[in-house]
Amino acid sequence: MNATARWAGLPVLALVLVALVVGVQLGNGGGSYEPLKPADPCAEREVTSRAEGIEGLTEQLVLIGIDEAACTLQVSREELTLELARPGERNDAQVDALRDGLKTAVTRMKDDGTLPPASALVDEALESSDLNGFLKTAIRALPDGVIDAALKTDDVLTRAIDKLDLRDLLENLTSQADLEQQIGAAVEEAVKDSLRDRLRNLI
Amino acid sequence: MRLVTAPLLAVTVGLVLADSAIVTLALPEILHHLDASVGQVAWVLIAYNLVLGLGAVPAALAFRRADPRIFTAVGIAMFAGASAWCAFADSIEVLIVARCVQAVGGALALVGCLEQLVAERGERRGVGWWVTAGVIGTAVGPVAGGLLTQAISWQAIFVVQVPFAALAVPAALAVRAVPQQGPDRHRPAIRANLTLALLSAALTAALFLLVLLLVEGWGRSPATAALTVSVVPVAAIAARPLARLFRPPPEVEIAVGCFLVAGGLVGLAIPPSSNLLWSVAPQALVGLGLGLTVDQLTSRAMDLRLPRSEHAAWTIGARHVGVVLGLAVLTPVFTADLQDAQEPAQEAITSLVLDSPLMPQDKVSVAEALGGALVDQQGQVPELAPAFDRIDVAAGEQPALDQLERDLDDQLERAATRAFRDSFLIGAGLALAALLTLVPLGRRRSS
Repeated sequence: MNATARWAGLPVLALVLVALVVGVQLGNGGGSYEPLKPADPCAEREVTSRAEGIEGLTEQLVLIGIDEAACTLQVSREELTLELARPGERNDAQVDALRDGLKTAVTRMKDDGTLPPASALVDEALESSDLNGFLKTAIRALPDGVIDAALKTDDVLTRAIDKLDLRDLLENLTSQADLEQQIGAAVEEAVKDSLRDRLRNLI
Repeated sequence: MRLVTAPLLAVTVGLVLADSAIVTLALPEILHHLDASVGQVAWVLIAYNLVLGLGAVPAALAFRRADPRIFTAVGIAMFAGASAWCAFADSIEVLIVARCVQAVGGALALVGCLEQLVAERGERRGVGWWVTAGVIGTAVGPVAGGLLTQAISWQAIFVVQVPFAALAVPAALAVRAVPQQGPDRHRPAIRANLTLALLSAALTAALFLLVLLLVEGWGRSPATAALTVSVVPVAAIAARPLARLFRPPPEVEIAVGCFLVAGGLVGLAIPPSSNLLWSVAPQALVGLGLGLTVDQLTSRAMDLRLPRSEHAAWTIGARHVGVVLGLAVLTPVFTADLQDAQEPAQEAITSLVLDSPLMPQDKVSVAEALGGALVDQQGQVPELAPAFDRIDVAAGEQPALDQLERDLDDQLERAATRAFRDSFLIGAGLALAALLTLVPLGRRRSS
């Protein structure tokens, strides 16, 4: 082996080996093996739910609402979710952003036709309500067209969101029963208000 | 007895140097068993290397005034006794003190064994045995420690050393003649020792951080981690035939070794996934680099310098102070990076849970179960399996839940890998700094 090969052989081999290893690692995404980065909350995200009825609707509204609130607050959806999941008092900006976000979610779902008519939710709503049996039967007997003419889903939801004490609700997220009770009461109030306004307009 | 004297002394040298990193894979188990903090448990590693690094040269100075056989036998016996003490330590403080005593015994044994090996095998072969035993011990240490921890317990790491060291005590006493120590004529080889120290700091990144990433970050068992890092000693052994193939000048061999260690560490910093195969090629580079450099540098620092034991002690000091330097530089970086990785990991997990194809109620159950697993992690990677075991869903939902668990584990592995990246790159920087120490040496020779 001549002197040049003695001097250069091993360094050249080392350079080739290092370039090969680092190149293969990078070529297979080595530089970007990192945790998922949160998506831009201001970019519209397609939201779906495996659940049907009120549960599915609620999930979609919450997912869109959190995105909208995060966009307003200029944080990621995940950051806001983690912040809201921690115990403690919520500030006005968070509560206002979430309320506006939920209302925007209602508008968005109405605009893209994914908001179900009130008649599709009535049966499920009646099951969990504490109305007397006679009234429940009477309402169930009403044709869908009458229900949909009397109650607009977006109107009821918007009123319910306005009535919800979001600050209190966010501070007691751990109690599922309290959560359902608060939402149920707000929706019931909203339905009554909506019907009252409808009658007032008719008269 | 003569037939086994040199092998027993070489095994002792290997054990003393293996102990530098042998407990790396056992640290999580020690942490839990002795109810210690992460900071305390790091001292099990640091204390040994620090005492060995600082104690080697004084041990060599003391060797000149002592009976070599008694000196060596006492050192080995102290090392064996302290190893047994480590195995029976019932608190982290006792373990750290026992490790310090073990290092003092190790320093005496290393110095003594060198002279005994030279007495048994002659100057060239004796030094060769001593250097090779040290390289093998350094490379094999983490593997042996991981396998013993997994197969038996962390205490087994120390127990198995006792009989080997105990057998070496009569072997040391049986050595008939020890060559006369010459007067102190040569100054320590500062440059070679500096390169050795920086390279040892870089190798700490490879051996220490990699096993931590495998066990703590990627959730692999100590045995799996041990088998994975066995690539390093295998490649280190392969380095010699490679060097013989090209027969480069020693400076070139050392420079190439430093470059390979740096390249391997860059490779370890950027794995494309947590598949263990991605660590094989970078580890092979590190192993080749280790095999090309450590014995060359040690031989260079000792080459015809007298007294031999003192110059050997300088190399031990340089290597182990280098290890401590590596731990001192890298530990705060990767612990801070692990702490910083929590937020992106939690956000990624939140994102996946929100978008998972589960029923809303099941998502809430997952969030509640994970909440406990993710809080108060204190810079450690959380284990999600127990949280998922507690979640009760309908049979039809189980596949989606299993997929979510796999996806979340993947996110944690990604976060841990990202958290170790900077430390591996700093390790690569240390290897390049070791390479830079060679540059002026080349100039001086050429002028």
